[in-house]
Order: sequence, then C-alpha cells, then structure tokens
Amino acid sequence: MNELVQAFDWRSRAVLFRNALVYLRNWKTAFFPPAMEPVVFFVALGLGLSGVVGELQYGERTITYAAFVAPGLLAYTGFTTPFYEALYGSYVRMFYQKTWDGILVTQVELPHVVWGEILWAGLRGAMNAAVVAITLGVLHAIGMVELEWTWLPVLPLLAMVAGWAFGAAGLIFTGLVPSIDHMNYPTFLVGWPLSLVSNTIFPVPTHIPAIRFVMELNPIYHLAELCRSLLLLGRPAHVLPLFVSTAVLLVVAAFVDLRVLRRRVIG
Amino acid sequence: MPTELVATGLVKSYDGRRVVNELDLSARPGAVLGLLGPNGAGKTTTLRMLYGLIEPDAGEILYGGASLAAQRTEIRRTIGVCTQQDTLDYDFSVAQNLRVYASYFRPKVDDIDARVEELITRFGLTAYANASPRTLSGGYKQRLLIARSMIHRPNVLFLDEPTTGLDPSARVEVWELIDAMRTEGLAVVLTTHYMEEAERLSDDLLVLSEGKAIASGAPKDILGRMLGDHVVVVRGDAPERARVEAWAGEQGHRTTRVLGELRMPVSREGLAAFTASFETLPFSVRDPNLDDLFLVLARGAHAAPASETKRLEATS
Repeated sequence: MNELVQAFDWRSRAVLFRNALVYLRNWKTAFFPPAMEPVVFFVALGLGLSGVVGELQYGERTITYAAFVAPGLLAYTGFTTPFYEALYGSYVRMFYQKTWDGILVTQVELPHVVWGEILWAGLRGAMNAAVVAITLGVLHAIGMVELEWTWLPVLPLLAMVAGWAFGAAGLIFTGLVPSIDHMNYPTFLVGWPLSLVSNTIFPVPTHIPAIRFVMELNPIYHLAELCRSLLLLGRPAHVLPLFVSTAVLLVVAAFVDLRVLRRRVIG
Repeated sequence: MPTELVATGLVKSYDGRRVVNELDLSARPGAVLGLLGPNGAGKTTTLRMLYGLIEPDAGEILYGGASLAAQRTEIRRTIGVCTQQDTLDYDFSVAQNLRVYASYFRPKVDDIDARVEELITRFGLTAYANASPRTLSGGYKQRLLIARSMIHRPNVLFLDEPTTGLDPSARVEVWELIDAMRTEGLAVVLTTHYMEEAERLSDDLLVLSEGKAIASGAPKDILGRMLGDHVVVVRGDAPERARVEAWAGEQGHRTTRVLGELRMPVSREGLAAFTASFETLPFSVRDPNLDDLFLVLARGAHAAPASETKRLEATS
C-alpha cells in the first residue's frame, strides 16, 4: 500500500517534471511524428477501406467504417504512446543515459522514479490523444466523419488515466529485457497484437465466450468502446469495466515494476 | 551545520558472499576519509550503504547521531553524492543540470539562481553555463558532477573515484576543489585507486580487503603499521634475486614484483638483517607508500591483518 501512496509524493512529480522539461525542449521532434501515426492510420484504414467495408451497425446507428475506426484510434494512441514510452523512453533513461542513477543518489528513491515514469507515460498518452482528438474534430468539421464532437475534450483525460496502467505494463519489460534489441519481443508479441485486436480498428467477435472473457480483462478494449460510445452515440458505456480493469492492471504492474526494477537498477 | 558520520558493524552479502563484513568507520567534519582497497574490496558497496542507496544486512549508520534507517529522507537532504560513472543529464545545459538536480531535494534550495551562479563560478564553468555537458572535457564534466552533488549545500559529501580517467592537470584541479570543501567544514568520504590522491587528500584512511577493514588511521601511521619503515628495492637483473626471495620467505617478509623489480617492505631491524645478509648486493631503500600497500593487498593474496603484520615484523 505504501508503494502506491508514493505516486502522490513530490518526488514522483519531480521525475515527471524532469521528463516533461526534456520533452518541451525537443517537442517538435518528440511530438509530431508519433502524433501523426494515428492520423495516417485513419486516412489509410478509415478512409481507404471505408468504401470496401461498407456500413456497420453500432447501437442504434448505422455507421461507416471510418466512423468505427476514428474513436478506436484514440484508444490505439492511448495505449501505444504510454506503452512504448515506458518501453523505450524509460529504458534509454535507465540504461543508456544513466539518468536514474543520478537521481537515485538524491532524496528521490526508486518507487518515485517508477511512479514518475508511469505518470509521465500517461501524460504523454494524453498529449498524443489530444492531437488525435483535434484531428478528429477537424475531420468532423469538414464532414468526413460524423461524431458527437462535444465529447472530444474528455477523451485525452481518459487516455491519461488508462495510460498510467499501460505505462506501468511497459515498465515491466523495461525491467526484464536484457538489451534494447530484446524490446522486439514486447513490441511485436504484446504491443502490436493488443493495440490492433482490442476493437480499435476492427470489431472483435465478442460473441465467442473465450474472446469475450479476454476482452473483459483488457482495458484497451474498454477504452475503445467508451470512446466509441461517446463519439458515436453521445453516451458513455464500459465506464466501470474501464476503470476496474485499468486499476487492476496499474496496481499489479506497478507492484511488479518495483520489484523487477529494484533488482535491475539497485541489485 | 557540521555532521559526523558514524557507521558500525556494517554487513552486506550478495548470493551468500559477504561483500562487506562487520565494518566500522567514521567521517568527521572538515576532514577527508579515504577508502582504499583493490577491486572487489567492498568500497563502492560500503559507499552505497552509507548514502542510503542500498540497505545493510546488519549494522547501523548514524549522521549527527540520527539513524539513516529511521530518518532516511531528512538525512539524504544533507548528503551529496558524486558517483563513479557519468550520470550528467545530457538533455540539459550545464546550468540546467544544476537547476534540475536541485528539484530533487526538499526543503527547496534557497535562492537557487544565486546558488547555480555561485557553483558555476566556483567550479570554473562560466564559459560553458549554457552549453551541453557533451562539449565539456573529462575534467570539466567531473567538475560539473561535483558541483551538482553540492547544489543543495550538503554536510557530507561522497566522492566515488572522482578523478578516474582525468589527466594529471585536471586531477590536481579536482584535488584543490576537494581540499577547499574540507576547509569549508564538509565531511568528505572518498574512494580512489590513485595512491598519491589518497595519501595527499585523506586525513584518515580506511584500508579494505575482502570487505573487512584491515587498517585505519592517518596514512603515515597505516603505512608504518602495515608495511614497516622501509622498502628494499632489488633490480630485476640482480644476480642474487632468487636468494633474496628465499630469504624474504624465511624471514616472513612479503615481496611484490613490478616490471621485474623486487620490492620488499621491512622494519628497521629487517633492513639491518637484510644488509648483513646481502653485503655485496646492489639495492636501494626508500620510504613505503600507498602504492606498496596497494600492491601487497591486490597481489599478495591480500595482506595479513595489522596484528599479524606486527608479528611478522617482530620476527624479522
């Protein structure tokens, strides 16, 4: 329990603040390329395949495939940004830059570094999700996709909360992989499958019980469905499952993070 | 406010092997404590316990009478650490390195702008204040690392091999900075591989071998106790070298070889006995230094404890 409380300590915020400062110094290179990824996805998949896929039924609405993909990309960004930030960004700070080693001889201790990284991963997810939300707003304004746009400002905040859990999950691998080359395993065996097979860009067949069970545990699925219900139907759905699955993942992953990273960083 | 560091009975084991074994030490304000020993002696592990990065398996660490285990956060506010490896933050400029580092301490550093300016001036970094640390030479990077460890005005400063890799000129500059810190009243704990550095800077020396303290005190006292009064040096091409080694073995004197040269620490009585035994042998005699001690520790399958050394000398 004490380890969870450390998330609110000033020292965790000091680590978050440090990472944010670095990001702001390099924001042009750090911000635009990753933020553009879901936009490219939307153009390629949403607009490109929309004519091929045809119309879909979602709740009481009949929607285009582009309309289905648009909210899913917010969830996709909300997952991939913090997950990969915790995988690669944190690994570089820990292993190559020795940033953590410098910090750990101050009043800041390992739990604060871990929580600082988790909070930062969530914040980065929110920032990239904001870019996607703005892009979707523009596409709505020019009539390319019909959305309940008034919900758009809420979605980066949801992405941030879920992003804490995704960042914590990414940090587990940061503590485990022997070298940065081994990041291919979590990237291609965990990150890619989860980001795509979670109702983000295509409907997962949840009528199959086994798949349904897995999806119920998956916060990305619930984030995608909440974004979709808000933007397409104008009402929330999957709120409780999202927060429960996010909280469970966050607590479990942070617990593991603290142990694997303590062994790796301090010995 | 001056703070004395006192550690007693420190023990640390990894995988069942004792890396630090029942170690006692103290560091006083206005003095430098040098930790000396070959690789694997336990210096860095000891330092990491003292500044609170790792916890000892047993023993107690007190700062000004307060337990590090009980008042960890408050005590770490009074400690400065300059690590052996380069942990500068290359995402920031020289001045920003100091400023960001200050954000890792509470209570906040008073008047941070003036403090950054003061340290930049004092450590000769003014010309590089807005430059990346990447542009600094090794000596200036080390200055920045030390300056950074002092940003929060600590009372106790840990320097883990602060001059490793520096050229002689940069090394002397760092020595002068350390000397100035001592004069200001900081308690400095220093590890080093450079014997001259340990000898010149340390007011007190703690010699470690296999995690144990095998000698402590002023450098000259330790040398006298551990090695004796003189070192006999016999050239590598001396005709009777094999006989000298056999004699040393019989008398209980330890010898080391450096580039073929034979070195043998002896007491006054030992020197007299040697001279009597090898009247025609060309050899030289000099005072022992920490290099001799280090070589005995590192090569001589580790030195005998001080008590044993005294016994050996008594028999010679």
